[in-house]
Amino acid sequence: MIELDQLSKTFDGNAGKPVRALQGIELRIASGAMVAIRGASGSGKSSLLNILGCLDRPTAGRYRFEGHDVAGATDRQLSRLRARRIGFIFQSFHLLDRITALEQVELPALYAGVRGAATRARARDLLSRVGLAARLRHYPSQLSGGEQQRVAVARALMNDPSLILADEPTGNLDAASGAEVMALLAELHHEGRTVILVTHDESVARRAERQVLLRDGKMENPAA
Amino acid sequence: MIQITSALRTLARQRRRSLAMSAGLVAGLALGMTLSSVSAASRRATLASVKNMLGTFDTILVRPGGGKTRGMVSLTNVPPTLTFDDADAIAALPAIRQAAELQNAFDIDVEAGGRTHAPAVFGVSGNWLDLRGDAMLEGSFFSPEQMRSEARVAILGADVAAALFPDGGPHASLGQSIRLGTVPFQVQGRLAPRGAGPGGFSLDDLILIPVTTASHRLFNRNFLTMVVAQLRTPGDTAAAMAQVRTLLRQRHHASTAALDDFTLTDPSAVAAQVTAVSSRLAVIGRGAALGAIVLAAIAIVALMWLGVSERRTEIGLRRAVGATRASILGQFLLEIALLSSLAAGAGLALGGLGIFIASRWQHLPPEWAWPQAFAAAFAAILLGIACGLTPAWHAARTDPVAALRR
Repeated sequence: MIELDQLSKTFDGNAGKPVRALQGIELRIASGAMVAIRGASGSGKSSLLNILGCLDRPTAGRYRFEGHDVAGATDRQLSRLRARRIGFIFQSFHLLDRITALEQVELPALYAGVRGAATRARARDLLSRVGLAARLRHYPSQLSGGEQQRVAVARALMNDPSLILADEPTGNLDAASGAEVMALLAELHHEGRTVILVTHDESVARRAERQVLLRDGKMENPAA
Repeated sequence: MIQITSALRTLARQRRRSLAMSAGLVAGLALGMTLSSVSAASRRATLASVKNMLGTFDTILVRPGGGKTRGMVSLTNVPPTLTFDDADAIAALPAIRQAAELQNAFDIDVEAGGRTHAPAVFGVSGNWLDLRGDAMLEGSFFSPEQMRSEARVAILGADVAAALFPDGGPHASLGQSIRLGTVPFQVQGRLAPRGAGPGGFSLDDLILIPVTTASHRLFNRNFLTMVVAQLRTPGDTAAAMAQVRTLLRQRHHASTAALDDFTLTDPSAVAAQVTAVSSRLAVIGRGAALGAIVLAAIAIVALMWLGVSERRTEIGLRRAVGATRASILGQFLLEIALLSSLAAGAGLALGGLGIFIASRWQHLPPEWAWPQAFAAAFAAILLGIACGLTPAWHAARTDPVAALRR
């Protein structure tokens, strides 16, 4: 599903000095796998996740996602991939301030071009699935951190994506809420979805089948 | 549809900001509509009253005296330089169709049945009615025979008839005897009321008598206070004025403009002068509306920039769940388009209300100019969208990775 060849990412750093966030990444991830990307902060793991999620483009090298060449794709093509094939979960949830849980979950449908009553029904089902059937009309400020992240998980599932990307999904949660979210991610993996999560927490990383270690933008276990 | 609902909800959520962004457009439109209506209404009313006084604009007014004679001319305040022969010569000019003679005074007491009144007394030539666009309410105008024989007959304006003959019904004055000073006259008609002239004074407080009678039997003066020359070709004022000026200089042996003993007036120039006040009002109105619109544009640009930078995370999130740059651009443009449209609608409504209230306050019929108002509203919407273009473009170019960085 995911093929990275000699992938590099360079940013314009301060004082015109380029920052090499990723160098020579070689990575294959099979469909249905659950992978943890580990590394210290600044190791390039978020950059890698952004590229995997088609939010960013590599500076050099090749990225093929489900057979599509991402490096050469247009904004429209990348957006279409994000809308229909990829679901994001963020450390700080990124729910919109003043819309209800139900509307948060419906949002991705708008950009996948899906509309109608079925959208609302599916959003309702997804929220029930993550245990928030009683919280449909709640605003983010009325939800706990764990509940907010579960709304975000439901949102990520709205367009039935094949790839779930989670960036420190438990980073802002207490242990109990974190465990709930990790259980949900494991469930998604067992449904056959590919789950890639970024974390610096070893206990979280151990829930994955496979770990990718990053240090200074390079993979430490290239053979894996 | 869902985009429109969500844009409306975004606007509703930031109610104060939406108000601040639309206030200028609303005020500009309403102010522009109201003030241009007020000035158009007062301009129309002023023009109507000037026209009412003069009868027609296609004339030249010739008055004796070379200086700037101010106010109403009368026998007591003009030099005796404009003669009956001058009037005949003016009437014979190629650019002039006909000329009316006028000899008037304001200090004659008129008496009837023990009542007195001091109206304007106009000695006029036989073509006066035609030239002034006046009409008789009853009775008949002076016949050529009466003009020749210097008949002591009078025609009353509505105010005079009412003042001298308050009893006995509307036809009470016809055939009655009145005295102008010490000279007896017989009333042979009444003029149709003309209403008010500029400044609101009545145009019906006058008595007409034949100019020949006035000259020989009442005033004993052989000069005129005014000649009203009607243009042969309407609008051909300049040529006619040149002809009259040349003629009078020749007849009065004046070699230069400084020696002119007459004054020529173009009534449309007078009208333009009188309506200048309402034109100035229109200019002020346009300025105020433009000022409000400029402020509106600044407010929209500034507040939209603020909105875009505050909503960076939202933009990033929308991009992450599949929004293209174009749909982000569309979202922000839709928001500002809807806001501008609502503002334009409110501006039109408020402007309509303003016009209505102003017309009540002016006691003039309102001047509705809906096509212009709708054009202005449309322009306001376009302006709003134009102001939103750069911020919306900036929103669309926002890097989602940077926007979502925690």
